[in-house]
Amino acid sequence: MYSNVCFKLNGEEKCYEGDPLRRLLDVLREDYGLTGSKEGCGEGECGACSIVKDGELVTSCIIPIGAVNGCELLTIEGIRDTEKGKCIIDAYAEGGAVQCGFCIPGMVVATYCLLNKNPNPTEDEIRLGISGNICRCTGYDLIVESIRLAAQKGAALWNR
Amino acid sequence: MAATNIGDRIRRVDAVQKARGESKYVCDLTFPDMQYAYMVRSTVPRGKILNISLPDFPEGYYFISAKDIPAKGRNELWMIAKDWRCFADEYVLYVGETIGVVVGPDRGVLKELRSRIQIDYEEQTPAVTIDDGINSVGGPMFPEKNSNVMCELFCEKGRPMEEVFAEADEVFEETITTPYQEHVHLETNSAIATYEDGKFVFYASAQCPFYIRKSIAGLLDIPYDDIIVRQQTTGGAFGGKEHFPDVICGALLVAENVIRKPIKMVFDREEDTQFSVKRHPSKCVYKSAIKDGRVIGVQGHIYYNCGAYLASSYVVLQRGVFHANGVYTFPNTYLKGEGIGTNTFPTCAFRGFGAPQTLFAIETHMDHIARHLGVDPLEFKLKHLCKQGDETTTNGHIIEEVKLPEMIDVLTRESDYWRKAKEYKPGCGRGIGISMYNHGGAFTGNGEQAIIKAHSLLVKKGDKVTILVGSTEMGQGFKTALRKICAATLGISIDNVDYPDPDTSKVVDSGPTAASRSTMIVGRLVERAAKQMKERWNEGDFSVEVEYEHPEGYPWDQSTFRGDAYLGYGWGAAIIEVEADRLTNEIKTVGIWTSHEIGKAIDELIVHGQINGGVIQSLGYGSMEKLENRKGFFKQKSMSDYVIPTAMDFPKQFYHIQENPYPWGPYGAKGMGELVFNGASAAFVDAVERALGTRFTSIPIPPEDIEEALKNVQ
Amino acid sequence: MEQVKCFMPQTLREALKIRKEYHATILAGGSDLMVSKSMGAGITPAFTGPVMILTGVKELRGIRKNPDGSVSIGALTTSAEISRSALVHPLLIDAASRMGAIALRNSATIGGNIGNASPKGDMPQPLILLDAELVLKSEDGERRMKVDDFILGSKKTALRDDEIITEVILPPQAFTHIFYRKIGMRRANAISKLTLSAAATVKDGVVVDFRASSGAAGPKVARSRAAEELLIGRKLSELPAVKEEFLDAWNGVISPHAMPEYRRNSTRRMLAYFIDALAAGHPAGRVE
Repeated sequence: MYSNVCFKLNGEEKCYEGDPLRRLLDVLREDYGLTGSKEGCGEGECGACSIVKDGELVTSCIIPIGAVNGCELLTIEGIRDTEKGKCIIDAYAEGGAVQCGFCIPGMVVATYCLLNKNPNPTEDEIRLGISGNICRCTGYDLIVESIRLAAQKGAALWNR
Repeated sequence: MAATNIGDRIRRVDAVQKARGESKYVCDLTFPDMQYAYMVRSTVPRGKILNISLPDFPEGYYFISAKDIPAKGRNELWMIAKDWRCFADEYVLYVGETIGVVVGPDRGVLKELRSRIQIDYEEQTPAVTIDDGINSVGGPMFPEKNSNVMCELFCEKGRPMEEVFAEADEVFEETITTPYQEHVHLETNSAIATYEDGKFVFYASAQCPFYIRKSIAGLLDIPYDDIIVRQQTTGGAFGGKEHFPDVICGALLVAENVIRKPIKMVFDREEDTQFSVKRHPSKCVYKSAIKDGRVIGVQGHIYYNCGAYLASSYVVLQRGVFHANGVYTFPNTYLKGEGIGTNTFPTCAFRGFGAPQTLFAIETHMDHIARHLGVDPLEFKLKHLCKQGDETTTNGHIIEEVKLPEMIDVLTRESDYWRKAKEYKPGCGRGIGISMYNHGGAFTGNGEQAIIKAHSLLVKKGDKVTILVGSTEMGQGFKTALRKICAATLGISIDNVDYPDPDTSKVVDSGPTAASRSTMIVGRLVERAAKQMKERWNEGDFSVEVEYEHPEGYPWDQSTFRGDAYLGYGWGAAIIEVEADRLTNEIKTVGIWTSHEIGKAIDELIVHGQINGGVIQSLGYGSMEKLENRKGFFKQKSMSDYVIPTAMDFPKQFYHIQENPYPWGPYGAKGMGELVFNGASAAFVDAVERALGTRFTSIPIPPEDIEEALKNVQ
Repeated sequence: MEQVKCFMPQTLREALKIRKEYHATILAGGSDLMVSKSMGAGITPAFTGPVMILTGVKELRGIRKNPDGSVSIGALTTSAEISRSALVHPLLIDAASRMGAIALRNSATIGGNIGNASPKGDMPQPLILLDAELVLKSEDGERRMKVDDFILGSKKTALRDDEIITEVILPPQAFTHIFYRKIGMRRANAISKLTLSAAATVKDGVVVDFRASSGAAGPKVARSRAAEELLIGRKLSELPAVKEEFLDAWNGVISPHAMPEYRRNSTRRMLAYFIDALAAGHPAGRVE
């Protein structure tokens, strides 16, 4: 009774043949071995499982795999070696944004979505852009500064 | 490659790997033929277990419990005492107590099996709150003592308090309470147990790999060396993974002994919120004698809710008592602490380790006295500030120079405190608040020497050096700081220094990664070892191991709690400015200014990150983190109802680092990890009290509690 | 441990057929059901009967203006899309833009938010003020119903087991003054403790329309047309005299259990603030 669920994942065509109600996060982490997205809360509250779906930021723990049929998905694994991804990651390292690291892949993904839509965000816009990504270690200031650094350093990338 | 200097700005050594999503946390690991495990827990807060009926378990699925502990083993987890049972047997003491674990290959099947386990209890009346415990509700927890007092201590200085109260102009008494707080480390508690080459191997999210080994070996009565603990990349801890991993690893050890396949246990968030250790709720009764506009005596009676087992509670209580006078010298003090046992989940370590509760209490108490006397709180507090050489509440001395006056100058200037404090009339809707705080570095008194005896080991191979210590990176930046200390001392590049995550079979025991001791104690050991290594550098390949040496001349008697409790303190001050929305009583924080003195910053970026994080955690504690226990059950269960700050909740912070080199720390550094948590909440509450013209004696203060307090404003 | 049937229709016609035949549970964005049915990491959420993932039905997305001035929002339109639309009334944008956080807004749908009927749901509250209507389709035909009549109570709706919400229709509005506040447990990414929308149309110094709705105020959104009537037809100068009566009447429709004092008092203060602003001749627009 089900059709295959087919989508693009990090640029690659994929078809999933299992239960369409399986959580997207579980498919990514367990079926595809992409463990960069993390489970922090399982209820879409913390952002540690954030990925990009058709250009928009989403939390993969509350999306059934059946809902991504025909979509384009990008995870941290698909972002980290792109020019934009490297720019963000480099800025995070330079700016002191990373402490325990568990929230960070999700933050990087949120940053990617933010700068794609808003290449020169203000402090308030940056904080709004990551307001769905909970961090317990950093208190956010250095993440915000690192994002500003990424916007500056990678200006040509974001302004296409 | 160029040598790394201690003052260099460097990148954290693990930042890129973590940002790329390549670091492996326990949840990311898989093993061939890996099984999963879930806890089976008590659903009543106090009672006898009458019966456990199990459904039929298919082949390959197990229910492991106390019955699986071998005859020569003991059903105990050796934290500090041995009272915490690995598996509850015959009776239960709190909701969530581990009765058993279900183990098997399919998680869905496991949860289904677990849901069909039927446990019958004969319920007894639980003691839940501190007052319940004081009144031994349901019968004393310790019949031999006829009370629920799990542990206690007191210290006194000066004259008897009755005398002091008698000569006072007035006596000001109040009770201040603080709540449970949950760590919410983004990575939940987790561990994997395997059996490799005749040894039990644990892959753990943990602060103290050696603690785990020591704690659980007795379950099977095996030598420590038959257990190997390999710390994995740990996604935050804050004290929540200091002793608590023992609870998971103990259960997994017993299971592993039976099953001999890799077994993985990862808590989900609701489980971690309800069924892991928390910060001790406190009730502090302060009674102060005031004469000629000064506080001449303070009597503090401090109660901590310890839950059902001791864990680290006695040490938490001690620290609470030793910080109960805050940064002030009062001529006469009597400070008593009681750890109260209740039928709730045991409380344990959480950043600050008992100090935040009493520091909040004394700061708030001093604010209230000041307002009562019609004096600016900062002006009032500065009159009582301690100085180098002052006698402490334990009849020891403040050994170092206290730089708080300089720090206050910086902060009051940056924040324009004096003008605002005058301009913002009480109740006008804007307020500015201030707190000062400290944190004694490392273990109390001679604990480092008498109990821990930390070691550090450096191994040289060619021009590369490896640090083999038991200290763990949990996000605080120690991996980077320690490599930096080592490299700078040796005069080599940090890229030539390696520091692997500790494996207990490969590194020496450097003591727990706790108590803000890592840089101060282990960093110093590595500095010493590196100095020796530098002198011998051309000898080829060799290793240097050093052991802790306690500075002479600072006596401490642990049986009477008298003497020099701490050789050095971190010192801090915070100013917070707020605006209140008069329609909704929501509070907006509009300014945060802090200054911290930690001897010397080994790495300013790391220190900046720790300050930001600790301050936000403290502001969460004061403003929004509500965790209530009703009849033994935690009401808040997940990240949507136990809320912690987002990036939009507080503004960018101004931070200042005050230097004051510490003679016994590497490059003059002292501990800082906990200090930065200890003060912001009191400054926040002070600011809100001024903005609204009201008074609070408990935290957190979300808008509904503010509404309640405003009703009571005269 | 059997896998439940899960359908993924590509057209509305398919979806209606499945709904009729199987009464399949409708799964839109997933943000409610995937959480309430969650079984934890690695385990498929525990649905107990057939499920239909609707996200493939593209015809249920989109926002358009109708010839009569009303605005139709497809049931699968996400709250993020709603919050970006120039066609949607500001009061709905207020609620849509403050639901959860960015990622949630990119998944949560207006149909799902209404269908779930949680007392703390963000979108039903302004929709009820706006007298929004739902289009409910089944294989046998179509019904229309006000959101206020559709939501019966906490998690209870008038949806028949062969129906799907296809559209939300916002009637044309000409309010001169609007007000919205959401009080959450923190400043972002928060479940609502309390929401309040208020709107008025003032013409030649007379209040010709006044509406308010309170969310997280009880089993369902609180709105009292009887209370509103106390203010409609009044001159601005008469408002101070009737304000207390209105506030008392409003207070009366809020469930005593659901609204602890704090929320009740805050609602009263906010409504008083809005009425005071009108009486003082606040210029047209949003009352901050």
